[in-house]
Amino acid sequence: MDFRFSEREEMLRKSVREFAENEVTPKMEAMEETGEFPTELLEPMGKLGITGVITPTEYDGVGLGYVARTIVLEELGRVCAAMPMALQVHHMACAAINDFGTDAQKKRFLPPLAKGETMGCVPVTDPTGGSDVIGMKTSAELKGDKYVLNGRKCFATNTHTSDFWVVIARTAEGAKGLSAFIVEKDAPGAKVGRKENKFGLRGANTGELAFDSCEVPKENLLGQEGGGLAVAIKTISETGRTGMAATALGILTAAYEQAGKFASERVLYGKPISALQAIQFYMAEIYSQLEICRLLCYRASWMKDQNMRCDNETALAKYYTCEAAVNAAKRAIEIHGSYGIMREYTVQRLLRDAMVTVPAGGTAEIAKVVLGRAALSPFKK
Amino acid sequence: MEICVVVKRIIVCTKPVPDPKLWDKVSVDPVTRTLKRQGIPSIINPLDKHALEAALSIQEAQGGEVVLLSMAPTFTTSTLREGLAMGADRAVLLSDPLFAGSDTLATAHILAAGCRWIGQFDLILCGNFTIDGSTAQVGSQLAEFLDLPNVMHVIDLDWQATHTMIITQKIEHGYTKLRASLPVVLSIRKELNRPRYIPFAGIIAAESKEIEVLTNDDLRIDPTLIGLEGSPTKMAGLEIRRFERARERLEGSVDEIVQKLVDKIYQYGVI
Amino acid sequence: MNEYNGIWVFAEARDGILHEVNLELLGKARELADQTDTHVTAVLLGHHVKPLAQILINYGADSVLVADDPRLDTYRLLPYSLVIESLIRECQPRIFLMGATAMGVELAPRLAAKVRTGLSAHCVDLKLDSKGQLLYVVPGWGGGVLATITCPDHQPQMATVMPGIMKARAPAQRKGQIREIEVHLPDKELGPEVLEIKREEPEELPLEKAEVVVAGGWGVGSQEDWRMIEELASVLGGAVGATRPPVDEGWAKEGQMIGQSGKTVRPTLYVGVGISGLMHHVVGMDQSGHIISINTDPSADIFDTSDVIVVEDFRKVVPRLIKEIQFRLRG
Repeated sequence: MDFRFSEREEMLRKSVREFAENEVTPKMEAMEETGEFPTELLEPMGKLGITGVITPTEYDGVGLGYVARTIVLEELGRVCAAMPMALQVHHMACAAINDFGTDAQKKRFLPPLAKGETMGCVPVTDPTGGSDVIGMKTSAELKGDKYVLNGRKCFATNTHTSDFWVVIARTAEGAKGLSAFIVEKDAPGAKVGRKENKFGLRGANTGELAFDSCEVPKENLLGQEGGGLAVAIKTISETGRTGMAATALGILTAAYEQAGKFASERVLYGKPISALQAIQFYMAEIYSQLEICRLLCYRASWMKDQNMRCDNETALAKYYTCEAAVNAAKRAIEIHGSYGIMREYTVQRLLRDAMVTVPAGGTAEIAKVVLGRAALSPFKK
Repeated sequence: MEICVVVKRIIVCTKPVPDPKLWDKVSVDPVTRTLKRQGIPSIINPLDKHALEAALSIQEAQGGEVVLLSMAPTFTTSTLREGLAMGADRAVLLSDPLFAGSDTLATAHILAAGCRWIGQFDLILCGNFTIDGSTAQVGSQLAEFLDLPNVMHVIDLDWQATHTMIITQKIEHGYTKLRASLPVVLSIRKELNRPRYIPFAGIIAAESKEIEVLTNDDLRIDPTLIGLEGSPTKMAGLEIRRFERARERLEGSVDEIVQKLVDKIYQYGVI
Repeated sequence: MNEYNGIWVFAEARDGILHEVNLELLGKARELADQTDTHVTAVLLGHHVKPLAQILINYGADSVLVADDPRLDTYRLLPYSLVIESLIRECQPRIFLMGATAMGVELAPRLAAKVRTGLSAHCVDLKLDSKGQLLYVVPGWGGGVLATITCPDHQPQMATVMPGIMKARAPAQRKGQIREIEVHLPDKELGPEVLEIKREEPEELPLEKAEVVVAGGWGVGSQEDWRMIEELASVLGGAVGATRPPVDEGWAKEGQMIGQSGKTVRPTLYVGVGISGLMHHVVGMDQSGHIISINTDPSADIFDTSDVIVVEDFRKVVPRLIKEIQFRLRG
């Protein structure tokens, strides 16, 4: 086992880090204030290869894998977690269309996503609940050469900055009754609804969609009719979880760095507080969690790159890293003392961002259901 | 419509320098009185990136080849790989134990030989100075040994179809605009442009681009002109100044204090 | 080696005005010359520049070589370097000093390459050792390293020095030799053609890009006294910064605030006036090149992060400081 990153991966990390520090940092204040995604960064990110990192080169992507993607999202998350949150959902659309699309669909929809001309969006959650995917009520009925969609989607990221959405809707009863559609934003009957006002990950637009007898050409069916659950599950469990895990990993890294920097500079009793054993123990905790989560995130990404079945590993990486990010951020705030609760200090944002990663892209409870099943399966009689 | 390639080949001189973020980890070898740089990673001299960006912009506009040239130890190929990832077509690394200890004059001889070896260039771009030595001397000296004109402190450049270049040179309190025939050696200031971020596709492409390593056996420079032997300037002593605030308290009457303050302000070079 | 004699100083002139670095270098050359009983020669190129020669003598030159020619009217690297090269070969100076100005930085290395000698850049000190050999003291690695360089086997020993490092002597009515040089230049294209020279006032730089920042704190005390901060910044060509209290009081703008919740600045020179130095301000400026602090409280935290400490009422120091800077800039 070689746990080292390759020269290519190190260079990738360096490139994204520079971009994140120089280009994303100045946008952060506005993002916190307005909750809006800085769409002006889409073009430079497209040029760099961020938006097309997992899309094959024949569709104008860079054709790199999930380890590379995790590096990209982690580095962006280290500066501002809302960025990888939005981008990982964007990648979900890229993956869904790449894995399930026809040649015509891929040729049409993947290049604009890869180049950053539009953002990708995968609205799955009905108001009836996200965890209960099969219970969704949004319906799609084939009428002639069009599907007619009715229903609403909520808690979807990038709704307002996407030219088209990968929508899961019910075409028939039961688990095999869901289908995926590429709904273009100017489709008659499609409406972008409210924007959510989240307390964290501000800058990743989260919003609602409404479909009122929305007409979608039947060529926009993504995959087979009835194959929508497979689209949702593959996209969420492989692309979504690794993306959320990488986002949380970025937050964890930031918490570690900010705590370490503050502890080395803040002087109390004539010495930096890093000389105090209590602080050293806190830092050891944070550092341990960071190392553990790095291994989980990169292992899951590696397995995906090897085309191995990895939904347990991605579930573990996602749920564990998000929880660890919350704890590390909390500790980092505590290390900052009273400075930690001031809005002027970025460390408080880390806790808010980390907490929003916990339910996003799959709750911890669902992850534990998955892991519980995996843990007990060798013992099944 | 065929775009006429006016600037067919640009050489961009680049130097790997120790990463300034880790400069406080460097120490002096008491015996050789040189800096112990091991373990401190190298980066491309920042101004060289601006020079490379200028070359790549010209290439994007009208074609041509961009070649990186560097005189450095062989373990620094990763910095050349970065330049290739930014978009340079190939790299030439001049590396030989005989080159060690070269001052700017000797370095300029070696780089000049490298430029001649590459041949048929229309333009040579360098950073105005490196962040470690900061002598800013190699550009002018390289041009002298190639018998070419050179312009330093370049903040704007505009290639012309007539195989000339309009150059803006920053001087104190203003600028000079010049027209130079190619080939010419230009030393670039950071005001010229913003170097591009390294695109991922570039990182992949760089893996198959060539870094050619040349020794003095290939260049055949007179050994008395290179290395320590070829360096008129010699190091007589080296001292690390640990970066601690001086905390110097000025004493005396207000007038005396004011005099000392003005002296210091002049020394800092800000007025 | 022994035939090489004399200390030369390149006298940079643009538009008929001598750069003040020439006078500073003459001061140093004079000092070195007196130590070794040799002479100082200034080298002056241009057109209609002969009247400047006497000034150079008054500031310490024993003789001035004047190359006054219409072809040298505007500085151009190749014509200037060819003329000076021939002078060096003819007269063989032992030491040659130039200012590390835009012109000097370009010209000195080209000359050193032409005559195959050693050149040390931006020296912060020049000394003579017991054998009369020049020792150059040169900073490197952003100032983190100080090297002592020699050029034992080549002449002239060349050096560039930044303006403001050396000190000019007080001028005196002196006698010296002024020798006019006949200028011979090859009859071909000598490098780039000068199209335009433009003088520009530097534009208002944003705080983060300013090379000099003068910042005031609560200790400045009043809107009226805040004017001294602005004036000092202006005379130094710098930007104004502030901690939170002056912003709250309305003496300074929000955009001028430096610190955790404001801007981070890394100027070459930071002058803090009436600032106590609480951590959330210090993190915004502690990477400045040089830090001067003025505060009446000798135990102010800011002094730990300062290079130069003045424990004094700024109302006594700053007005006089402004006057002294203006005086020196004029002279």
